[in-house]
Amino acid sequence: MDLKLTEEQTQLQDIASKFMDKNCSFAFVRNIENNSESGYCPDMWQQFAELGWLGIIIPEEYDGMGMSTLDMIVLVREMGRHICPSPYLFTSVLAADAITRSGSKEQKAELLPQIVAGKKIYAFAYQEYSRFFKPEHIKLQARTDEEGYVLNGSKLFVEFADAADTLLVVARTGEADSQSGLTLFLVDRNSDGIETRQMPTMSRDKTYQVDFTDVRIPESAILGSLDEGWSALEPALHKAVLGFCAFTNGAGFEMHEHATQYAKTRVQFGRPIGQMQTIQGYLAQLIMELYGADMLTMFSAFQIDKGRHARGYVAKAKAFSAETVGHVMDVGSQIFGGIGYMEEQDTTLFLRRGKQYQLALGGTEYWEDVIAEEIIDREPVVLT
Amino acid sequence: MDFDWSAEEEAFRQEVREFIDKELTDEVKGSIFIDTPARVAFVTKMADRGWLGMGFPEEYGGSPNPLPLAQFILNAELDRTGSPIIGKNVGTIASTIFHVASEEMKKDFLPKIFRNEGQWAITYTEPNAGTDLGSMKCRAIDKGDHFEVTGMKHFITSAHFCRWHWMAVRTDPDAPKHKGISILIVDHDSPGLSMSPMDTIGREGTTHRTNQLFFDKMKVPKSRLVGKINEGFYYMMQALDYERFAILSFASRVRRFTNIVDWYKNANFNGERPIEDNHTRRTLARMAARVEVGTMLERMAICKAQEEVPAVEAAMNKAWGATIGDEFAQMGLDLMGPFGGLWGGQHSPLDGGLADEYLMAGHARVAAGGVDTSKSIIARRLLGLPNALGKPELPTR
Repeated sequence: MDLKLTEEQTQLQDIASKFMDKNCSFAFVRNIENNSESGYCPDMWQQFAELGWLGIIIPEEYDGMGMSTLDMIVLVREMGRHICPSPYLFTSVLAADAITRSGSKEQKAELLPQIVAGKKIYAFAYQEYSRFFKPEHIKLQARTDEEGYVLNGSKLFVEFADAADTLLVVARTGEADSQSGLTLFLVDRNSDGIETRQMPTMSRDKTYQVDFTDVRIPESAILGSLDEGWSALEPALHKAVLGFCAFTNGAGFEMHEHATQYAKTRVQFGRPIGQMQTIQGYLAQLIMELYGADMLTMFSAFQIDKGRHARGYVAKAKAFSAETVGHVMDVGSQIFGGIGYMEEQDTTLFLRRGKQYQLALGGTEYWEDVIAEEIIDREPVVLT
Repeated sequence: MDFDWSAEEEAFRQEVREFIDKELTDEVKGSIFIDTPARVAFVTKMADRGWLGMGFPEEYGGSPNPLPLAQFILNAELDRTGSPIIGKNVGTIASTIFHVASEEMKKDFLPKIFRNEGQWAITYTEPNAGTDLGSMKCRAIDKGDHFEVTGMKHFITSAHFCRWHWMAVRTDPDAPKHKGISILIVDHDSPGLSMSPMDTIGREGTTHRTNQLFFDKMKVPKSRLVGKINEGFYYMMQALDYERFAILSFASRVRRFTNIVDWYKNANFNGERPIEDNHTRRTLARMAARVEVGTMLERMAICKAQEEVPAVEAAMNKAWGATIGDEFAQMGLDLMGPFGGLWGGQHSPLDGGLADEYLMAGHARVAAGGVDTSKSIIARRLLGLPNALGKPELPTR
């Protein structure tokens, strides 16, 4: 057992950290929030491509770097520290893994090198008008016609839908209200019948409602097998969710540093507030949670890389990281007192995101249900 | 990064498991303390295998360390199965003796510890010196060839079956309070030492005895001074870091949580099965994630211990472990309706074990440096926040 990063991972972390320091300031993030329709910076995306990051987990035979889930975690944590707005997780983790895992030979040969080169952006069209994340709730219909499929329905919370070239759409082709009967489609964003409407969020990210009205797509747009979309999607989703945990943990660490720094320098009653046990208790509790969330995320990634059954670990990592980022942003802001709630204050960028991150990609109740299935319904109980 | 144990480590774990399978009887099970003849015999069998002195030089009765992580693997397996653990005797006392004591003391006491020739009490706490150990008053006066000790201690575990006390006393009443404390090794049968029990809360058979000790002009030979005079506070702080880790292995908490989950899996209230209820399922799931975080913090402490005293990691281990133990005991009771209050009898969940767990969990949060004390350690040593007096952190040696 050795919990230190490898030399290669340390290098990756250093490069990522320096890149982000230089290119992704709070001013940059605010500029994207206020002035960008797409929600990301195309020039930065090209730089990601040049650094090889867009193909980090894509196999080398498709021009990728063929690195591990754990390596990806190390990189994304640095992006998270800077709350870097980009469609990275949906394109280079979720879509990349789903295509690598389930794509046909032709799809892989065509689509993966495009991702690596920064030529295509993907968005994830999954959630519908339901509070829940379970695949059972997906209703968007894909019915067959003579030329392929016709999509009808609406997807919500499709982040970067306007910037995307391709939508990874999860649609119902079979049995209703079930995990089965779903199919993954790679849908051209510019297809006739697709309309997008921005959904304003407190984090000012660029997320959309996407309406599908008689959208015709060829059979070749299917990724994986008909009606078996969920089993193809779930492992890719797990990887992306761990990436998301790394991102939110990184953001949490950064917020924690700002709050700690403030506690050391803000003087009231003639002494720094960080001298008070209440403040110390908050900061100590938060850093413990962050270490725990971070380790659990890495541990889960390690299990995936070893090819082991990691569903329960991923769920624990997501449930706990989500709770942690919500908690860190909330309590961290409290340490700043009044200034913590002023628009000009940079840490409010984190505060506005914390709760939203907590609710994204399956709320706590979804992942707790997964944990319950793993610890209660599966035999035997495996608790490390 | 590698989260897996090596083949050698797994092989050693297997060896420990086989030993426990063979030697762990019902008489031995159920306490981490070496407080009954059966438990003493169990630990002596470990001593015979050289497991107590692992990593210490052979000239002091030690044995070669089979693996860098062997002690932790051994303790985790002991703790997981409810066996007496390799706790303060090796973790706190032998480690401190080895690092600071005279050659004579090392030659005298280390072999005795590694052969399990007697048990130890850690005798620090006083009525007015709990979290603030530096305020202790129990006085040792230099009488030339010996110290004369007068005062009292309380909440002392293990004293009623110990042979020696690892005892902190005030040797210089005029020095700043942290600079006038020394450590002595005291025979429990010394004239002038008397004792009375202080039992922890609990039902018969589950309570945990601590003790109140009185010292009336007790003589302690000068040769029993550990290390340098008036340096005792630093030895205690360093040793507490070890103790927090040694005593608070997370393995038993994982076992106890698993027992709770198993109980719920099988529970059936007139046809109502808790595990078909979403609230119950999600509550257990939430706790499972928090328990898993404990195993992660424990891993961090184990890995750090290979390089240095894992002060911060040990404090995290302590704070998280004790808090989680309390959370899952409360959770187990909260899901139980009125049955949560039952303390044994026909309808009592886990035969009252959950109620025991709840009471013990409170104790665990305040023992060996409370949760809030641990958080202060994290705040000061990891985050660099100033201490409550605005003074820089005390140097650790």
